[in-house]
Amino acid sequence: MEVFNAFVVSLQAVWMDSGFSAFTMGNFIMILVGLALLYMAIVKEYEPLLLGPIAFGCILANFPRTGFLDPSQMNVMLAIHYGIQNEIFPPLIFLGIGAMTDFGPLLARPSTLLLGAAAQIGVFVALVGAMLLGFNVQEAGAIGIIGGADGPTAIYLSVQMAPHLLGAIAVAAYSYMSLVPLIQPPVMKLLTTQKEREVVMEQLRPVSKFERVCFPIVAAVLISLLLPPIASLLGMLMLGNLFRESGVMDRLSDTAQNSLCNIVTIFLATGTGMTMSAEDFLTPQTLLIILLGLIAFIFGTAGGVIFGKIMCRVSGWKINPLIGSAGVSAVPMAARVSQVVGMKAKPGNYLLMHAMGPNVAGVIGTAVAAGTMLAMLK
Amino acid sequence: MSHPVTTNPFIIMLINMTIVFGVLIALGLVINLIHMIDPTRKREEKKAEAPAVPEAPAAAPAAEPVAEDGLTPEVVAVITAALASYGYGASQIHAIRPIESTGWKQSGRSLGVERL
Repeated sequence: MEVFNAFVVSLQAVWMDSGFSAFTMGNFIMILVGLALLYMAIVKEYEPLLLGPIAFGCILANFPRTGFLDPSQMNVMLAIHYGIQNEIFPPLIFLGIGAMTDFGPLLARPSTLLLGAAAQIGVFVALVGAMLLGFNVQEAGAIGIIGGADGPTAIYLSVQMAPHLLGAIAVAAYSYMSLVPLIQPPVMKLLTTQKEREVVMEQLRPVSKFERVCFPIVAAVLISLLLPPIASLLGMLMLGNLFRESGVMDRLSDTAQNSLCNIVTIFLATGTGMTMSAEDFLTPQTLLIILLGLIAFIFGTAGGVIFGKIMCRVSGWKINPLIGSAGVSAVPMAARVSQVVGMKAKPGNYLLMHAMGPNVAGVIGTAVAAGTMLAMLK
Repeated sequence: MSHPVTTNPFIIMLINMTIVFGVLIALGLVINLIHMIDPTRKREEKKAEAPAVPEAPAAAPAAEPVAEDGLTPEVVAVITAALASYGYGASQIHAIRPIESTGWKQSGRSLGVERL
């Protein structure tokens, strides 16, 4: 009998310590959400390199009693969380992006910077919408940045302004980025005429090595002095670009583009998924954030295209308004959408290189928007 | 956390969009300035102008299009056929030479950045 009692007590203890005893319906729903995201990543191939670890992080975050984020006990999940909470990973991702980015199209036609600026209207339309729906000003700023279509910047801003919304904002940002080919074309077609979509743009001028090397240095100095809150983001972006363009730091450029970027992507995406616990994610706010993110994307696309139409007229029909939609960042997906829509309007009209100008300008524009919001609203 | 400057969303939108445009316009001016002071630009322009002089007499007969060294007759024939299919005639083709194109490179890089 004594043995039996000891056995029962032991089983009870194991059960009470297990995750099953504390497992809630919210955890179950969030694990289903994680599985749905995994399905989108693996079967549908929507941003698999990001959605995959985000989804698995979401599943891990909903196992009770793991102690992953218990500050009294250091573990790998806490270390990853620390990297996100202290804005370590987004600048490192920007280092890799800088090493992969060719600013040539932007340097050849600097006027496309205006398209990158105009597309930021989506960020602020979403901010206005969020405030009208009852979010406070910091939360609204963090939600609005989804419209910038730039994952690392969205995470960077959310952590500083609304850390409790990080999971919803990151998932909305990355989900909509993967849906750019579905969201943008109807807006682009609605706002442009057939004649505008058929505009053929002149070939870009060659850009010298001097310009390519000077740009990241001067841009880092200028923007970091103007907006210190984003100096780490823009500074790392430009450092990565300098690795690439200098021609003498190929090993560093290669590491930044590949090994380092992949490692940080694993940490950043898994850590983002780890913020999707049921108590933080299963709220009416999440649905509102997802809705506002869609509005931000639509208005951002519209802002770029409308400004493109203005530039088309001012330049004497030398600028195709379709490249304006690429100003929402989402490098290089948005530029590809401009190319595809342009090719459908006029086969043989290659807009990809022209659209890369506003596309990379959008990355800078989103970071600047984040910097101004941090300076004004934090 | 310090207090925000304003909580009026429309004023926030106006101020922020003005700053975003201002910073990017300043960046555009800097890009133009770099282009203007580029010491390698004049050398490149001179290089580009130099071969134009001897080419002028060659263009006069206008009967034989000029093909750059390294292009085989087959490649020239294929390019000519492709151009002809778009409605261009031999009288409009003066020279065939490879130009530096970064399009494919850019496309490859785009694929690399896509996952971010």
